[in-house]
Amino acid sequence: MTVRCLIVDDSRRFVDAARGLLERQGITVVGVASTGAEALEQAAELRPDVTLVDINLGGESGFDVAGQLSRRGDVAPSSMILISAQTEPDYADLIAASPAAGFLSKAALSAFAILDLLGPLDGDSLDPRSAPRGR
Amino acid sequence: MQTVTREPAAAPRRLPARRARLPVRRRLAGALTGLVVLPLLTLLMHTVLRGILNLSSQMLLYLVAVVVVGLIGGLLPALTAAVAAATLVAYYFMAPIDAFAIADPNNVVALVSFLGAAAVSSVIGLAARRTQEAETLATAIAESREELRVLVAEQASLRRVATLVARGVPPADIFPAVAQEVGSLFGADATPIARLDPDGVATVVAVVGEPPAMLAAGSRWKPEPPLAIAMVLRTGRSARTDDYHDGCGPADNADCRLGIRSAVAAPIVVEGRLWGTIGILGRHERFPADTEQRMVGFTELIGTAVANADSRAQLTASRARIVAAADDARRRIERDLHDGTQQRLVSLCLQLRLAQSAVPAESSELQRQIGRVAEELTGAMEELREIARGIHPAILSEGGLGPALRTLARRAAIPVELDIRTDDRAAEPIEVAAYYVVSEALTNTTKHAHASYAHVSVEKRGSRLHLSIRDDGEGGADPARGSGLVGLRDRVHALDGSIEVNSRRGEGTAIVAELPLRPN
Repeated sequence: MTVRCLIVDDSRRFVDAARGLLERQGITVVGVASTGAEALEQAAELRPDVTLVDINLGGESGFDVAGQLSRRGDVAPSSMILISAQTEPDYADLIAASPAAGFLSKAALSAFAILDLLGPLDGDSLDPRSAPRGR
Repeated sequence: MQTVTREPAAAPRRLPARRARLPVRRRLAGALTGLVVLPLLTLLMHTVLRGILNLSSQMLLYLVAVVVVGLIGGLLPALTAAVAAATLVAYYFMAPIDAFAIADPNNVVALVSFLGAAAVSSVIGLAARRTQEAETLATAIAESREELRVLVAEQASLRRVATLVARGVPPADIFPAVAQEVGSLFGADATPIARLDPDGVATVVAVVGEPPAMLAAGSRWKPEPPLAIAMVLRTGRSARTDDYHDGCGPADNADCRLGIRSAVAAPIVVEGRLWGTIGILGRHERFPADTEQRMVGFTELIGTAVANADSRAQLTASRARIVAAADDARRRIERDLHDGTQQRLVSLCLQLRLAQSAVPAESSELQRQIGRVAEELTGAMEELREIARGIHPAILSEGGLGPALRTLARRAAIPVELDIRTDDRAAEPIEVAAYYVVSEALTNTTKHAHASYAHVSVEKRGSRLHLSIRDDGEGGADPARGSGLVGLRDRVHALDGSIEVNSRRGEGTAIVAELPLRPN
């Protein structure tokens, strides 16, 4: 059983790169959503183990989407991670106030970093050798 | 900007001087009258009336002549005439005729009595005339006083309005003040000020007194003749309609049905264009003929107030537009950087990491090289983030002023104590301005003030956002010199806000700014 991941991000380029990296590191990207509405739909359908939510989601706020996702209950708040091209201190307050489990800078994204944040998940098929820590 | 110059009002009528003595001209006229009338009378009685009149009638005629001389020339000519008349009587009409001698002692008594009567009559006549003159004079003085009182009231009223205009009070506040002044000055029952819109509809912007329902403040209607305002609209000049009652019947006389007897409307001209009118309505009396002329001073002031406010509003709006355009551009650049370049670099970074993981463990040199490239890339991304943040703080749009300021405080080089007492989101240009005020202030504090800490407070006061940034540095900041502070001032003023910098040497720097929560 692998870790199933939903990425909520409106940047095609990033999603492709992230998918390539995460899948090599043992996380299956089962769904991609580029808007809040799509995210809710996909979350209900896919019930992912991990959900990555971009903070700068085009016209929408990733914080709002994270809030909605957690209220709908299809995604456990503890399995939600906010991501951004910015670094953490820029959004510290908002991240702290959000139900999400934590924050990852996009550049530092890796299966390892995700698992580090969320703790051990069901999926233990990760190959530590192919997942060097961040940068 | 317009300025109003007003011709000084015509000098009040000159008051007659109080006269202690009659003027020389009058006394000469009296003497002349005596010189003509007495010989003429004597001649008449000596020829035509000879033997018809008796002595007492003759003396009465002389007495009348003396009184006339007195009335014209005053006491001295009268007394002279009396003596002359007595001499003439004694010589020509008293026995013995043609001699000064007087035979009958009764005639001596008659002559003396004549002199006395002449003197008394002259004095009484003159006094009566003086009394009448004094009464005329008193009336003239009273009239002049009244004119002066009206003039003073008018000038005082104009001055009050001019002061409001000069102070830049908004037209919405000036209109009722002018209506009040004009209404009480002319004793109007109602004083409406109406704006004429391009579609020919009038809007009552202010009204005082007891206006008919159609003239209530804010009401809109199309002015039709014979309303005075309709004539102003057509001719661009003052107009009046008197005696509405005379023609009041089933005819379409609106003011007549409104119970108005007399109405005067004057044009308000703003920069050469008919802007509106001010009218006065009376239910009982006609307004005096000079009313239109006297209203000119007020309409000029209203015109100036409107023109000034228009220029101010245009200036403020264009400044706000310039600031907004610049902000929009910055936001777009930040957005483009974030959505384009930053995302591309992030993706590149992930791809690099992917490539790194694909490198066989034996190629440690390649591993290291890829690692170095990734580090460089991360550094470049950090720089780009810094630049983007300087261009426009993305967190402002994301989280509002509170989180943006907290981020600012966290990143500052000195400890910043934040006291944010409002969670309300203000309009975006306001939040951007507030952010830049705090950001610039903290930059100055860090760079120049040698401060050990700064305190930032943000709170809502009524409909305004109140910001204060103080530090414990050395002060002495000159807002006129720092281009950052000048830029801030322009930005804040463009939004109809205010900013004050207090930086006495040795006392730290305090910047206090106020912004409306919603820009106009």
